Amino acid sequence: MSRLPHIAGEVIDRSRTVEFRFEGRHYQGYHGDTISSALAANGVRILGRSFKYHRPRGLLSYANHDVNALVQVRAGERSVPNVRADVVQVEPGWDISAVNTRGGVSSDRLAVLNHLSAFLPVGFYYKAFYGKRLAPRWERMFRNLSGLGCVDLSAGRHRTPKRYEFCDVLVIGAGPSGLAAALAAARAGASVLLADENPAALLGGSALYARGGEDRSARCTQLLIERVRAEARIRLMTGTYAAGYYADHWIALVAPEAMVKVRARSLVIAQGACEQPAVFRGNDLPGVMLATAAQRLLYRHAVLATRRVAVLTANSEGYAAALDALAHGVELAAVLDLRPAVSARSRRSAEALERRGVTVHVAVQPIEAAAESNGKLSHFEFSHGTAGARQRLELDGLWMSVGFAPANALLHQAGAHMAYQDSLGQFVPSELPERVYACGKVNGVYDLAARIADGEDAGFCAAAAVGFGGARARLPAVAAEECPTHAYPIFAHRKGKEFVDFDEDVSIRDIENACREGFDSSELLKRFSTLGMGPSQGKHSHMNALRILARVRGEAIERLGTTTSRPMFHPVPLSHLAGRGFTPERRTPLDAEHVALGAVFMPAGNWRRPEYYQLPGRSREQCIVEEVAAVRTRVGLIDVGTLGKIEVHGPDAAEFLERIYTSRFANLKIGMTRYALMLDEAGVIIDDGVVGRLDPESFYFTTTTGNSATLFREFGRLATWWRLPVGLVNLTGHYAAFNLAGPAARAVLRLHTTLDLSDAAFPYLALREARIADVPCRIMRVGFVGELGYEIHLEASRAREVWRALLDAGARFQIRPFGVEAQRMLRLEKGHLIVGQDTDGLTNALEIDAAWALKMDKPFFIGQRSLRILEGKPRRQRLIGFRLQPQAAQLPKECHLVLDEGGIGGRVTSVGVSPTLGRCIGLALVAPNIATGQRVRIRIDRGEEIHAEIVRPPFYDPGGERQRLAEPERVGEPA
Amino acid sequence: MNEAAAVLSVQFADHSDRPRFGCKGPGAESWLTAQACRVPTAPNSATVDGDGVLVARLATSEFLVDAMEGGDGRVAAMRAGLADRPRPRQVYPVLRQDQAMTISGTGLAGLLRQTCGVDFAPLLELATAADGPVVLTSMIGVGVVAWPRRRAGSLAVTLWCEPSYAHYFWNTLIEVGEGQGHITRGGDR
Repeated sequence: MSRLPHIAGEVIDRSRTVEFRFEGRHYQGYHGDTISSALAANGVRILGRSFKYHRPRGLLSYANHDVNALVQVRAGERSVPNVRADVVQVEPGWDISAVNTRGGVSSDRLAVLNHLSAFLPVGFYYKAFYGKRLAPRWERMFRNLSGLGCVDLSAGRHRTPKRYEFCDVLVIGAGPSGLAAALAAARAGASVLLADENPAALLGGSALYARGGEDRSARCTQLLIERVRAEARIRLMTGTYAAGYYADHWIALVAPEAMVKVRARSLVIAQGACEQPAVFRGNDLPGVMLATAAQRLLYRHAVLATRRVAVLTANSEGYAAALDALAHGVELAAVLDLRPAVSARSRRSAEALERRGVTVHVAVQPIEAAAESNGKLSHFEFSHGTAGARQRLELDGLWMSVGFAPANALLHQAGAHMAYQDSLGQFVPSELPERVYACGKVNGVYDLAARIADGEDAGFCAAAAVGFGGARARLPAVAAEECPTHAYPIFAHRKGKEFVDFDEDVSIRDIENACREGFDSSELLKRFSTLGMGPSQGKHSHMNALRILARVRGEAIERLGTTTSRPMFHPVPLSHLAGRGFTPERRTPLDAEHVALGAVFMPAGNWRRPEYYQLPGRSREQCIVEEVAAVRTRVGLIDVGTLGKIEVHGPDAAEFLERIYTSRFANLKIGMTRYALMLDEAGVIIDDGVVGRLDPESFYFTTTTGNSATLFREFGRLATWWRLPVGLVNLTGHYAAFNLAGPAARAVLRLHTTLDLSDAAFPYLALREARIADVPCRIMRVGFVGELGYEIHLEASRAREVWRALLDAGARFQIRPFGVEAQRMLRLEKGHLIVGQDTDGLTNALEIDAAWALKMDKPFFIGQRSLRILEGKPRRQRLIGFRLQPQAAQLPKECHLVLDEGGIGGRVTSVGVSPTLGRCIGLALVAPNIATGQRVRIRIDRGEEIHAEIVRPPFYDPGGERQRLAEPERVGEPA
Repeated sequence: MNEAAAVLSVQFADHSDRPRFGCKGPGAESWLTAQACRVPTAPNSATVDGDGVLVARLATSEFLVDAMEGGDGRVAAMRAGLADRPRPRQVYPVLRQDQAMTISGTGLAGLLRQTCGVDFAPLLELATAADGPVVLTSMIGVGVVAWPRRRAGSLAVTLWCEPSYAHYFWNTLIEVGEGQGHITRGGDR
């Protein structure tokens, strides 16, 4: 066991033991142990295998960034992949295993890949796919070998409802500077939210574990924590990390139970810095770890992961770690300082160490760390300078403290400008967005007292910026006593295996080779080498890679720039991202009627609509065929309440419509309707509908179902833009609408209205306001499905009365309610296109033969200028109609390809077997040369080809006589 | 029972059946004034007069008129008057068949934090029974008019949304409310 006697500040409860298994073996830890600390306390060094070469790996950062410490946890029936062993507390009964192994972590069969690295050069994944022939084989192999953990597909849904929070000042990070910032802002009167990734017992950041053998920093920080807890204006969120910054100070906080979206008026980022590894051969061996990892284990869990260690350092923090080691009985073999001499800030510590018999080496040049046969660190070799004699230290632990990289991802996302400071060896903010502040290590301030002062100043300014306390500018940063980060802690070895990125096994040579191949910018290098693309997202690798890149290119780091930092800064569980699913569903006022009639529903945009009405003993297809037949031969009723329904009022209402639609409306007579086609600025079709005139200054018009909300917003924007004082009223959900269609429609309607329905009084395309079943309605006589038809619009609250009245009246005509599928077939028979299905995001009005709806002689409509240009150019595609022979056995489906000579010539957009015509008909968007032919070739399922005859729509009633039906027909009446 | 152990509660009351209407246009404000309505001077605010007629100013010249306690008759009469032809000049009637509801209770704040990106806390602190701000925002993906107010001494929010969302809106808020604590649902008033 590596457990030490009680240490002040430890978070384990020694009275409560925890039994668990790892890789099949039984272990015991304490309540409060993480998986990693419990394993370390049991002397377990190898926690996982590396991603590419399957090298044995142990603790590196112990800071929630470690790819080496991802494990699969089985607890009862649940199995959870990629649990972060560094931060997740071990629970009794857990059965834990390493991810990414074949045969277990100690005898991983894929370890053979470590010896094949010469055949797996940088960019190997991409190069493997150069050749078509072998690509499928490579794909199978990569899919088989890659991936971390195993998803439990039987896992139940885990509810993680997101919530919003608001505050005057959000402070991210509860280290000394963050605590001080929160206190200062709260004392100025601001409401403060302080978020920290650590659990409540571990607040205080590095000051609580990087002690230098003393407890002064810990006591000072503990005092700050107590003050924060006592401050009423500060709300503390622990176990919560900030994963992303979004515009206007929206911050995504990932709390243990859910995502919290915080709107902060002012923001203080005090996220500190991530300690960085040195890069040398064997720097990934189990036993080689960051000094802060060893210190965390020591002070949080009283665990000594290694017994005989050396500290490889380039800053005072390394000397502090050495003192911490000595204070707890570690056999300290040496302190190995990369710098040419001990810095003034480190000197006191160095002298204290030497007094206790520890040798301090300076100008150390690491050569390599080597392992025993079991893969664990056995010794470390170095020299003094490049020409010095080779020295060897027998060790089981090497603690690295050579520098830091600021955790500045959120600052980048917020739009901060960064400058690289050689005196600090890191990027620091040079220009911050409004009401965003940085303090502490992320701001380049490392001394404890200076961090607290920097935090206080940031907190005061953040509060002042939102009206609490007097406005003031930030104080200038205090100059650092020493550079905390080595300028180039990277030491190439002729045999390689000096790892820059532990997630993806990227070595120095990989980066150099990528640069040679031309991927020599930070963004290209990242993508080609996969550097920084693993679970730690470059937190340990990005800066060292930049240093190598800068040296290869002979340029300053600042000139290279960093890669783009995007949310999420840290991996977020999918359950948190999903949260509670809010999926609005709209229902028409007739929804309950549809349910009663046996409707089978389908989604249409965000509406639910009847697809068809199920009758007992009938198949879906039979129901649809019967509904079509009812409309063609008798009468049908369909709910079209999902259409957008809008009124426009005012003296300029006609002018407004003239501009948004391609047709003419200034001359539309009161009480008449007209087809309306809407284009975008490029002439692309975006919507269609019907416009009716109510009075000289009022129009009522419809849009397609899916576009109504978007278009209403756009209409408001256009009216403002054009400065047309029109009143737009969105009636979409407040109005119901249904279409009564079929040769008997007039006869049915007549039973419930006193309106003169004669063709003379109510002609085709007329609009009337009248009562149906004593309910005020707007009635439009339109050819919606190519039959005599009346579209009835009325207040939503009274829709059921009229719907029922019409069904009752239609009973003698065997009326049928019909759904979306029948409607689609009826409209396809008439050749009516569906915007968005028979057109795409590039289809312009000239390509669908809609010239009749384009009034090019108008002064203006949206898209007119583009159409004028397009008129003189060849068409890109054409919408055609096609039909198959009756009884054709092989039928195309929507999106099947239309073939041209040697390639793709288009696609089928709508297709179906018409019950009326007894054959398959459809529409297709095809190349112009195909449209001029007689026949079209379509590739259907299984690669087979069929031929169809090109015909000009409409397929049914091409003269349109049926929808203009002037005389009442005696149809469907019972004998 | 100590505070930590207290069970939060959320009350839902449906007011959808009350008479209401909207009007907009350059003449809308003066027409409402002529109907003896108290018209808020600032957009995004609402006021209720002594007869229980709520007038919410949604934009410079757009209004929502709803019947609060006792206002049914007057609101219905105004709505009918506006529907008659000829209409008042430059006043455009707006049919409002909204799903209208009031949510209140000790779990209200938690419910709002899970459903809407607007910080209602400062608005609720300032709310009175008769006057206050209205917020046009999105809640659980639905556009709403929200009126934070004080009702019978407790805090409440009245919401209006398009009726086609009514089923989804009501049920989803109930579901979220159940996560906050004990819920009760009722009809009008």
